[in-house]
Amino acid sequence: MTHKILVAVLGLLVALGLAPGTHAQEVVKIGIVAPLSAPGGVETGQALVEGAKIAADELNASGGLLGKKVELVIGDTSGQPEKGTAVMERLVTNDKVVAVGGEAHSSVALAEIEVAHRYGIPLVISEAWSDSITAKGYPEVFRVTVSNSLIYSKAARWIKDAGFKHVAVIGENSDWGLGVIQVFKDNLSAAGIKVTSFSAERTVTDFTPQLMQLKSMKPPVDFLVDGFTGAGELLMIKQAHQLGFAPSKTTAVLGAGMDTLYPGFWETVGEAGVHVLSNPAGLPGLPKTKTSEKFAKTFKAKLNREPDAVAMEGYDTVMVIAEAVKASKSTNGKALIDALENKVNWEGTRGTIKFTKEKTPAWAYHMWMDVPVFIIQYTKANQDPSQAAILWPQKYATVKGYVRPSK
Amino acid sequence: MLFFSQLANALVIGTLYALMSLGLSFIFGVLKLVNFAHGEAIMLGGYLYYLLASLRLPLPLALLASIPALFLFGVFLERLFLRAPYQRKMARYDEYVILVTFALGIFLQNLAFPIFGPYNRQAPPLFKGTIRLGELVIAGDRLTGALIAFAAIGILIFLLYRTYLGKGLRAVAQNPRAASIVGIKVLRMRSAAFGIGVTLAGVAGALFGPIFLVNPEMGTSFAVKAFVIVVLGGMGSVTGSVLGAYILAIVESFGSILLPDPTRALAYKDAYGLLLLVVVLLARPQGLFGEKERRA
Repeated sequence: MTHKILVAVLGLLVALGLAPGTHAQEVVKIGIVAPLSAPGGVETGQALVEGAKIAADELNASGGLLGKKVELVIGDTSGQPEKGTAVMERLVTNDKVVAVGGEAHSSVALAEIEVAHRYGIPLVISEAWSDSITAKGYPEVFRVTVSNSLIYSKAARWIKDAGFKHVAVIGENSDWGLGVIQVFKDNLSAAGIKVTSFSAERTVTDFTPQLMQLKSMKPPVDFLVDGFTGAGELLMIKQAHQLGFAPSKTTAVLGAGMDTLYPGFWETVGEAGVHVLSNPAGLPGLPKTKTSEKFAKTFKAKLNREPDAVAMEGYDTVMVIAEAVKASKSTNGKALIDALENKVNWEGTRGTIKFTKEKTPAWAYHMWMDVPVFIIQYTKANQDPSQAAILWPQKYATVKGYVRPSK
Repeated sequence: MLFFSQLANALVIGTLYALMSLGLSFIFGVLKLVNFAHGEAIMLGGYLYYLLASLRLPLPLALLASIPALFLFGVFLERLFLRAPYQRKMARYDEYVILVTFALGIFLQNLAFPIFGPYNRQAPPLFKGTIRLGELVIAGDRLTGALIAFAAIGILIFLLYRTYLGKGLRAVAQNPRAASIVGIKVLRMRSAAFGIGVTLAGVAGALFGPIFLVNPEMGTSFAVKAFVIVVLGGMGSVTGSVLGAYILAIVESFGSILLPDPTRALAYKDAYGLLLLVVVLLARPQGLFGEKERRA
């Protein structure tokens, strides 16, 4: 008898839990996809979401879009393509979003563009760099950040000019990581610089055997590219420093993933982080736009630190989608895509965003080609990326060249 | 010289692997069941040490304090989920245990997300810095981890072979019925063994944490390695687990640098262990030191 009562009570609770909530006012829903748990880069995903949230709050404070409130629907893709597909499907079919923005992992983005293409929903990529994402040529896909070819061809040129002779790349076994290896190989081998590369599973946490091997190579490796995201990126730098390999007097290290921009980086690597290089697709205030100043102020007040490239990308992504809605005065997928392609010309936190229709090279399609790129170097422990030394481009450089550690 | 550096690193990692897999092997030896929540026990140990350290406890104390906590947690789990069906001689007990520990593992992992957050946490290592012996460089956090693991294994062996409790545990492992006939409380031994197994895994997690970062999913990849090691060494054998751990560590280290195509070799690092597992299962399924059991 008590068993039956228990089942009845549980059943009632389940029914109440599943009952649809009150569906009062009309909203414009924008989906956000980001890695918010391992094995994705969690701090990167969090920054993306924070930037997006600030944008949504701003839009709502000034009346919303088309008279309706803006609501962000956030999905955790964990850096796993299967989750990316599942979350996208849910956002489009269940939550009925008008557009999706975000993502910080290329493998996941490549899965998500398929869903976006199938449903004709615009997808604006915030922080995934693999060339193939836009090279595929889907009209639904736009990107407010760099592509591997765009950024690493510039980084490779800087490496050559700075005089490095033997570059080692350890890349994660993802579309982005393998792309990093490929671009460095293509750009550096042509200039006569030796390139040694390894690829490894995303989940590898011990790079010590490979780092020992690289350390003992002849000719010596003088530049290490850390082509990992998440915990792997941080651990590689920590282990390389523990072995006395990099950063050191003889060898520099570039953290190609964006997890070097956050406090978690310093917690893990400690002193090893000084002299590490990074390549963010944006720094607050460079260039100084109205939006960048306002955003920096709001971000600092909310989170007690300077904004980073990924947070700015999150903000720009949502605002660009909003611009498309305003310009096309509709939330229809096709209209938004047309607006993004032809009408959006908006000054964001990193410059004026406009998408091209160029198809040479293939990855240029629907890219913002003028996205700012920086090569920075940390000069003090626990340094915020906005305080780091800027090595490139010349226009913004704060130091003459690469700062070599003394030991 | 490179060879010796690699060997030293492999031996250090191997000692940590040994501690990590002993818990699994031990639980199988005494309770004759496979604990699929082993990875989560490792994860819990990692978080427990991190939490105690962040409360500003002196680090060795943080490590020591987590031991009784883990032991009690293990006993609690055994009492809650595993004792009653065993006492009632449930049919298909082995399958029940697999399901229950598997579900428990998933539950604990997902419980960790809202409680601890998805971030990678850096637990403070007991010893920072690096040790240099001429050309040989070993990270301090790994070396102290390995030394403590070595000591822990030593304590376990002492416990098993020089104390009365150890005798009781070994007796139940050999033949529970005979053990109960001579007056050993089998149920109590089973609880103690599960507690010890969880403790061993937890301490391994606490030692891994400062080296490889603590996050809710850290247990999964270590658990896979633990299974490989335990199958390789023989379920229930202490010597087997220790030897298997060193073999796996050496195979992983050298496999990833000796393969002809070095660019892909590292990518297959985890595969070497699993390949080893397949080979062992084909050639000698009971492992190096396991017993061939006749299921009557």
